[in-house]
Amino acid sequence: MTGDTWGIPGPTFLAIYIAAAVVLIVATAVTKSVLYRGKTGTGYEHVTPDQAAYLNGGEQLALYSSLGTLRRGGAIGVQPDRTLTPVGPMPAGGSPLDTAVYNAAGKRLTAKQLHSDPWVRSALDHLRETLERSGLVLTAEQRRAGRLAGLPMLALLAVGVARYVAGTQNHKPTGFLFVAVAAVAVIGFTGLVRTPVRTKAGTAALAALRRQHAHLAPAQAPAYATYGAAAAGMGVALFGAASLYALDPAFAADAEVQRNLASAGGSSGWSGGDSSGSSCGGGSSCGGGGGCGGGGGCGG
Amino acid sequence: MTAAPASYGVGIGWRPEIAGFVAGLPGLRFVEVVAESVRASGPMPPALADLRARDVTVVPHGVKLSLGGAEPVAADRVAHLAALAALFDAPLVSEHIAFVRAGGVEAGHLLPLPRTREAVDATVANVRRAQDGLPVPIALEPIAAVFDWPDDELDEADFITEILARSDALLLLDIANVYANARNRGGTPEALLDRLPLERVAYAHVAGGAENEGIYHDTHLDPVSPAVLDLVAALSARRRPPALLLERDGAYPAAEVLRAELDAIAAAAGYPAVT
Repeated sequence: MTGDTWGIPGPTFLAIYIAAAVVLIVATAVTKSVLYRGKTGTGYEHVTPDQAAYLNGGEQLALYSSLGTLRRGGAIGVQPDRTLTPVGPMPAGGSPLDTAVYNAAGKRLTAKQLHSDPWVRSALDHLRETLERSGLVLTAEQRRAGRLAGLPMLALLAVGVARYVAGTQNHKPTGFLFVAVAAVAVIGFTGLVRTPVRTKAGTAALAALRRQHAHLAPAQAPAYATYGAAAAGMGVALFGAASLYALDPAFAADAEVQRNLASAGGSSGWSGGDSSGSSCGGGSSCGGGGGCGGGGGCGG
Repeated sequence: MTAAPASYGVGIGWRPEIAGFVAGLPGLRFVEVVAESVRASGPMPPALADLRARDVTVVPHGVKLSLGGAEPVAADRVAHLAALAALFDAPLVSEHIAFVRAGGVEAGHLLPLPRTREAVDATVANVRRAQDGLPVPIALEPIAAVFDWPDDELDEADFITEILARSDALLLLDIANVYANARNRGGTPEALLDRLPLERVAYAHVAGGAENEGIYHDTHLDPVSPAVLDLVAALSARRRPPALLLERDGAYPAAEVLRAELDAIAAAAGYPAVT
């Protein structure tokens, strides 16, 4: 019979390990919650359609929102070769992004090529910076800080792996430790990968805008002729590309708009996701681990 | 007979498509909602709840009761109207003097009754059945007809007056229908106004229409014509309805156009603008 690995009995180590994991998970969640809070109380009344679209579905949806505004405003059309084309004057009161997209339509770009236009690129960058300043979107530094906040979990993971290896070499049972380490690994990496784009304030603003503009939901078959061009842009922003199909199916299809982008509430492929990164805050996946500490020799 | 409700001014038919426009009318005091489009169980749609919170009156307007049918009105449809009246705390409900089904076949739209004594009897019986199940008064809306049945025994005014008198119901007078009937079947619309029991008018419908091959169609899809607005003024000069409601069911125009129509109706009736 060999001695305890590292001089610590298995059940003791497991109990300490799980306790440390719970403490870290809570601490990480709290830290991220503070980092991702954004500017609360800034209100949402002044959020424009392209800003709302960026919050909901990133650059792509912001472009679709502009397409909706310009299309409803009678400013652009689409050619059989998928290129956009101006068909009327720019609607009054458009955003800088609307102007850039309208200009790009004059260059006969397709909807898919809009990103590459320098003017559009610059308008998108400006849009993101504006949202960062208003505290609705996380800055690159805030996102980096969020990832750094996840590093202690990885350190804990490293300790767990080392203990697992040592315990195995020491011919100790390691089943429960393996489960605990695996859980720490899943939570740790998820926290690293799932960095949100919106701040909590941004998510709250989006939800408030959806309530305020509930009449623009595609299920209401909104009368955009009555609501106007800017409302068309807001409808696309809040309810996704499906709104563009509701507005003008032939245009949306010919422009090859991705119908499911941010549609029906916004669980799309866009990198932000709806989580604020604190999905591990409850630590529920490891809650059961507390009960296994008592098992004889289970901690390596 | 219950007294006609207090004055509400100009309202608009609430439709999901223009809910955002309706919500943005600052002076709005009442709307009408198509009864068959709202579920009576559970909470009311948020947009209508917002209107109720602003103390805007919501009147359920049925289209499928088939009061003019030979068979008794369906109890579940009456119950639905009654439940909506309770849900919206409505002062009244309204339905059409028409039939939409016969012998179990659904027509899918409102059909005019032959103006016979038998039809009056059947309609009055159905209105009384409906009234028995309703917590509030019912206003009856005669419908437009582009033709007369060959066996009509009563003229339009006598037919309506008799049904209202015997059922003690209120009148929902559709000005565009009055205009359409006079245009399509001869006679002047003012003459009909003079013979209707205007003291029973709970509110009036105003809608747009279009002429096609010499026949005026009450489409609810076109602008309200100046002639219909003149008739609103003529009605208001005789006895101003407590409320007038713009009906628009599709081909919704720009917000400014809808606002201008509401303002024109208000001006013709002498009510304050709601826009």
